Amino acid sequence: MTTIHEVLESWSHNMHIAEGFLPPVHAVAWTVAAAPFVLHGARSVTLAVRADPDAKLLLGASGAFCFVLSALKIPSVTGSCSHPTGAGLGAILFRPPVMAALGTVTLLFQALLLAHGGLTTLGANVFSMAVVGPWVGYGGYRLVRRLTARLPETTALGFAVFAGAALASLSTYSVTSLQLALAFPDAGSGVLGAFAKFGAIFSITQIPLAVIEGLVTVVIVRLLSTVARDELLRLAVLRSAAGGSAAPAGGRAV
Amino acid sequence: MLAIDAAAHSSPWRRVHPAVKGTLFGGLLACALVLPVWPGAALSALAALAVGFGPARVPPRAFARAAWVPLLFVLTGAVTMLVSVGGPDAVLAWAPDGWRRAAEVAGRAAAALCCQLMFAFSTPLADLLPRLARLGLPTALVETVALTYRMLFVLLDTARRIRTAQAGRLGYQTRAAWVRSLGVLGAAVFVRSFERARRMRRGLECRGYEGELTVLVDTPPVRPAALLAAALPPLSVAAAALHPGMWP
Repeated sequence: MTTIHEVLESWSHNMHIAEGFLPPVHAVAWTVAAAPFVLHGARSVTLAVRADPDAKLLLGASGAFCFVLSALKIPSVTGSCSHPTGAGLGAILFRPPVMAALGTVTLLFQALLLAHGGLTTLGANVFSMAVVGPWVGYGGYRLVRRLTARLPETTALGFAVFAGAALASLSTYSVTSLQLALAFPDAGSGVLGAFAKFGAIFSITQIPLAVIEGLVTVVIVRLLSTVARDELLRLAVLRSAAGGSAAPAGGRAV
Repeated sequence: MLAIDAAAHSSPWRRVHPAVKGTLFGGLLACALVLPVWPGAALSALAALAVGFGPARVPPRAFARAAWVPLLFVLTGAVTMLVSVGGPDAVLAWAPDGWRRAAEVAGRAAAALCCQLMFAFSTPLADLLPRLARLGLPTALVETVALTYRMLFVLLDTARRIRTAQAGRLGYQTRAAWVRSLGVLGAAVFVRSFERARRMRRGLECRGYEGELTVLVDTPPVRPAALLAAALPPLSVAAAALHPGMWP
């Protein structure tokens, strides 16, 4: 018998809007909204590959890493497990424009290989998970990085990564709630009431999950700063010994 | 391999051109979304299930296992439509006509999900990816997507092995240990994915790699008769659903 845990779990570990759940007009509108970001990301990827054919292999590996990251199981507040969005870590490592492209690929694969999310709802899911999540997460990361510039590198990086990952996760779920609220406004209180309803269901699981995802991401980046220092320097996540800032490498992933 | 992809590779419809399957299941999906939910969505779901479990021989158990999580999402989402918040009389009340709206959304989404899953269960992703280039996408991008597809199974297997080893060392006994183990797992997967990409590059360079990953793609011709046959079920569903006075 399905328990309340399983119901909450289905929302927490499959936050992708299911196939056919959105009215066609909304599905098209969100696809149009996500399209410029995805096209920009696809252009970044294409330019990176044309400039350096070896980048293709590393970008392929990055895409596969994003997919595997979203398949990892993290402990959920309901006692079962959930999956991280990976939007924050992806944005910190590869930058939001590239994440828009890699995230779209990941979501397409999830729809066709795992039945998580749909094809007609791909645009809506891309907008929340591959556009808003990475941009908000990356914004939070950069802001905290700037605010903690005087702290030691490891501490500053830890705070910034936590903020980036947790904010990316929370913003993803907030946008999904908004998408559902716009599609199905409440009979009495309209979009605002519907947003409160969907948000209330998500918040039971998603706020603790965002914190856990933030902590897991801090552990990942701390380990990477030891065992894969060269990669993080190349991706401009770590400041170079010469004191250079973590400036994005022109939106390039590798 | 993942269950859906494994079933797609062993499907008797593996050799059927993706355009034919796309016409069939895509057409039914469009019917489920656009036609009145009764009988349009119901007929679309029935047609997709009949074709999927019939000639396409989709394994029912694997189908049920793949469908239950999105179906729970649909049902939970539909339940929220039963209630209304912030009304003048009570903070929480039954929504007028809420059950009808919930049933409509759930029915439509369940039918659409059946169509999507039947397509996924009969069409391997490997057959779709090379055709993306014909849609006008840049070759470099399509090759990157194809590389992601090829690498993800190896990486998923790597992640599974690391997790088993961690669990064997009681790495998931407490919540704190879970977070630590998962962090280690994520970092290991990142390092191995980049290392694998580098090794692949070295291997390709030894074979004369110059930036183009050319692979042979099995391209069965699209027969107009097959396309027409695939379009018949959606057209029949549309005709039946739009025929007035035929349904209660």
